[in-house]
Amino acid sequence: MSDTDDRSPPEEIGCLEAIEALYAYLDGEVRDPLSLAQIEHHLGHCRSCYSRAELERALTQHLRKSVDRDVPESLQVRLRRLLDGLGPAGTP
Amino acid sequence: MTGRDDTRTFFATAVQDNMNALYAVALRLTRNGADAEDLVAESVTRAWVAIDTLGDRTHFRSWVFRIQRNCFISGLRRRSARPTETSVEDLQTDEGELDVASLLLDEPDDFLAWWANPEHRVGNEILGQQIMTAIHELPAVFRSTVMLVNVDGLTYDEAAAVLGVPPGTVRSRMKRGRTLLQKALWQQARDAGLGGSDENDGDTT
Repeated sequence: MSDTDDRSPPEEIGCLEAIEALYAYLDGEVRDPLSLAQIEHHLGHCRSCYSRAELERALTQHLRKSVDRDVPESLQVRLRRLLDGLGPAGTP
Repeated sequence: MTGRDDTRTFFATAVQDNMNALYAVALRLTRNGADAEDLVAESVTRAWVAIDTLGDRTHFRSWVFRIQRNCFISGLRRRSARPTETSVEDLQTDEGELDVASLLLDEPDDFLAWWANPEHRVGNEILGQQIMTAIHELPAVFRSTVMLVNVDGLTYDEAAAVLGVPPGTVRSRMKRGRTLLQKALWQQARDAGLGGSDENDGDTT
């Protein structure tokens, strides 16, 4: 724990709770500051959960790189025409 | 600029900004490039017709994904022939309560030890060549959710809009799907003789 941090450390959570929240945490879906602090504190102190988190991060990177799907030019042209030809809001 | 012009400008910009995501999700749903293009175009058209129903503009993505899902389902219902490998059932099945923690704690720690070894870091043959095999073997509800979030980059709320389920269901499917994926990779590592001996199976503390 940092000597410069005057705040109390977050209430510790165990592996079960950390694992429960791990995927949402890695996906950026945990926004509550206390929950974030608890998870990060646990990952900073538990080698097993830290390794698991690193694995999951790497898996996500692989998944993101696995699919190359640029929008086809034909669709870009089609959407541009569609947007240029929009009628009044609420009409086709 | 009039309110009408402002709405038109906002809509055009939002569609352009989210074109990649709209196409990615459409391709996920239809699994066919031509159908995906048609779906995006139809969704954008319908979205413009319904633009007055968009309350908070910051929710545009979730809103338009919901419209895209509805367009996709309408299209499925219009066609009696099977147009895709994806079914509405794939998207709507609810897997019920999940015991993710027990699945993970059941996993041997030596997988993590193997993973932590620099010689076996990401880029090795297991993760490089077999990860997609593992993910395609996941049950459809988990595969769809993991792909929408981890490949297509949707938030849980956005994935929920596409799948027609509550965000909490996306959260539970993500836990379950990623857990199953990790276990499948671990099994592949063992099958390839890369994960150490079976005698080291142990508990996470």
